[in-house]
Amino acid sequence: MAYTQLAVLLTSGLLVIIGLFAAIFIDNIIKKVIGISFIEEGVNLFIIAIGYKTGGVVPILIPGMDKSWFATNAAYPLPFGLVLSSIVIGASSLAVMFAIVMVLYKKYGTLKTSVMLADHSHGSVNDE
Amino acid sequence: MKLYDKFFNVAKRFKQIFTSGSVTNSEVSGILTAELLLIVSIILLVVLIRHVNILLCGVMTLLVAIILIANMPLIPKFKVEQEDSLNKMLFYSIITLSIIIIFIYWGGNFV
Amino acid sequence: MMNEWIPLMVVIPMLCAVIVSAFNKWSKPIKILVVIVAICIPIIPLIAQYGIHYFGGYAPMIDTVTGILYHPSITYIFNILQKIFIFVLGIVTFLVVFIYVNKYKKASGQYLFLIFMGTSSATALLLTDDIFNMFVFFEILALVQVGIVAASRLEGNFEMALRYLILGAIGSPIMLLGIGFLLATTGSVNITDIVSAIQNATISVKSPIFLMSCGLIFFGWLYASGLPPFHTIKSGIYSKAEPHAAALLQCFTVISMISILLIMYRIFHVVEFFELLVVIFSAIAMILGITLALTQTDFRRMIGFLAVGELGFIGLGIGLYTQFAITAGLFQALNEMIITALLFLGFGAIVYTTGETDTRKLGGLLQYHPKVGLMILLGGLAMAGVPPLNGFRSKLMLIQASLSCGYPELSLLAIIVSIATFVVFVKMFYTIFLRPKPKELEISKNDLPRSMIFAMGILLIMIVVIGICPNIVTYGISQYVGGILL
Repeated sequence: MAYTQLAVLLTSGLLVIIGLFAAIFIDNIIKKVIGISFIEEGVNLFIIAIGYKTGGVVPILIPGMDKSWFATNAAYPLPFGLVLSSIVIGASSLAVMFAIVMVLYKKYGTLKTSVMLADHSHGSVNDE
Repeated sequence: MKLYDKFFNVAKRFKQIFTSGSVTNSEVSGILTAELLLIVSIILLVVLIRHVNILLCGVMTLLVAIILIANMPLIPKFKVEQEDSLNKMLFYSIITLSIIIIFIYWGGNFV
Repeated sequence: MMNEWIPLMVVIPMLCAVIVSAFNKWSKPIKILVVIVAICIPIIPLIAQYGIHYFGGYAPMIDTVTGILYHPSITYIFNILQKIFIFVLGIVTFLVVFIYVNKYKKASGQYLFLIFMGTSSATALLLTDDIFNMFVFFEILALVQVGIVAASRLEGNFEMALRYLILGAIGSPIMLLGIGFLLATTGSVNITDIVSAIQNATISVKSPIFLMSCGLIFFGWLYASGLPPFHTIKSGIYSKAEPHAAALLQCFTVISMISILLIMYRIFHVVEFFELLVVIFSAIAMILGITLALTQTDFRRMIGFLAVGELGFIGLGIGLYTQFAITAGLFQALNEMIITALLFLGFGAIVYTTGETDTRKLGGLLQYHPKVGLMILLGGLAMAGVPPLNGFRSKLMLIQASLSCGYPELSLLAIIVSIATFVVFVKMFYTIFLRPKPKELEISKNDLPRSMIFAMGILLIMIVVIGICPNIVTYGISQYVGGILL
């Protein structure tokens, strides 16, 4: 495995771990959402890294190119196609998330998850 | 007598924590049914271990039954853990993720 | 040539969704359009022939070097299972749209967009033979559910929607990671190709990457189907949507559960413990769902938890992995879609007349709405598994299946949970319909819209018909399971 690919894979793993950490432990909802987008981007980066090929070329067949040379040297194009749709979905869910956060911020006046998204159906249980 | 009292305390304790105002008959019956259902069904699940080892199953069943009955007002404790707060949901989902990964990874490799 | 109908099952609702959201201003034409499209949705699967559709027309090719057949394009497979489920989904969509159009004077294009988009992606989930395509529609479905919850004007809906979205934004990248692992090992996202790669032993079943991808996709499936640890959020989603939309949401959940589970089975049934995990999570879902349903006071939440508990029965059947058991599980899925839709619509009628969801403040509604009461009673009996309704048939099959697989504990569990379901239901029926009406309770709107009664009647007819002659469904499902899955 080439060092470039290894570095990219490690980065993607790091992004996922940082994102999970932020999503679980940080109380500020905006930071939580940013952490979640880190997870998404880490996974996207991972999928791109699958298609990497040492010394490979861009997988676009230009007229006049030798087809058998192209087949052995081009990078694997499928992951790029997949990541495009994945990015679009991630961006739209991020937008929806921020929109709802805005609504809730107006209602509660705070960005704390422990206040905003706590259970409001009954009184304080922990006082017992 | 003591077990009966314990069983009756379930509804009282539940009322203290979760419901304001008067408690109706149907509510009490629901809570008591839930308590019984929880104990019985968890023990039934533990009995599934008999496909692995019968002795282990017997020991585990007894152990779980004793633990469950000794901690009798289960439903109040149980329901606090199942509330709608995001932090609790996140906690349990991450725990579950790690359990699944450990289970499938090790189980698939070493069996 | 006739197989062009297969993509149309997805395209028609999607196109309708785009059109209604673009021409939001014209309320009247939109209403006519959506009703026409909603009638078309259940009819298309009935007239379409079984077959396979390759998008772009790229038929499967044989690799000249290795001699392996592979699929270069997104593939949709339409068979009897898809036919049955798309038909029922179409019926529920039609009823929900019909109620919506009758209930509100001004139709909201955006709301109808969400409904049709959800139907279209659930249909695609059933049809697709491409694991990335599955993921895309799974994500769209999650966003649609969030949108439907956020569009309801109930107290606390935005909080619930954001919780669902945040959990989903953790669950779905994890699923995508699993798909990425599969792609890395097999080089393909087509499920048939992946399965043949596993059968030809091109990838090792015990390789860590393969096992890891199994676990990650399993987690994504738990999120999609609302099994524990996602049972609280799933029931919350149902309770914060408008009742008719909740009827549709639970259809989406059931469909995404069975379609992703069947896909996972085709790929991962070689993994040790996989079936066991499915059974264990389903059993826990049954226990938690019913236990929590017993302790609720909000009846929408109660049905939400009941619906989650019923999902456990489906997983139990499919997890046992014999032809009879999978048939029973899929049959139970079909029945649950119909029964829970009926219950949500029925209790929606109660919300409509009283504006109250707390069971402690309700009572004595039988003298005001005897028809609704009767239909809810029958629906609840069907859910609890009382003969001759359809729930009885599928639960009996499930119990027989687990007995014949050598797991009498699971049969016992299923029976106990059914009894507890009955308790929940009797309790709910008593507090809402039978006991004396509290003085504070005001019945603000005494006349129910005809459309609600009509919708419940249709669903009830389906319940009774399937209950009396289950063979019309089980025979086809059994053949499908025997021919394709095993």
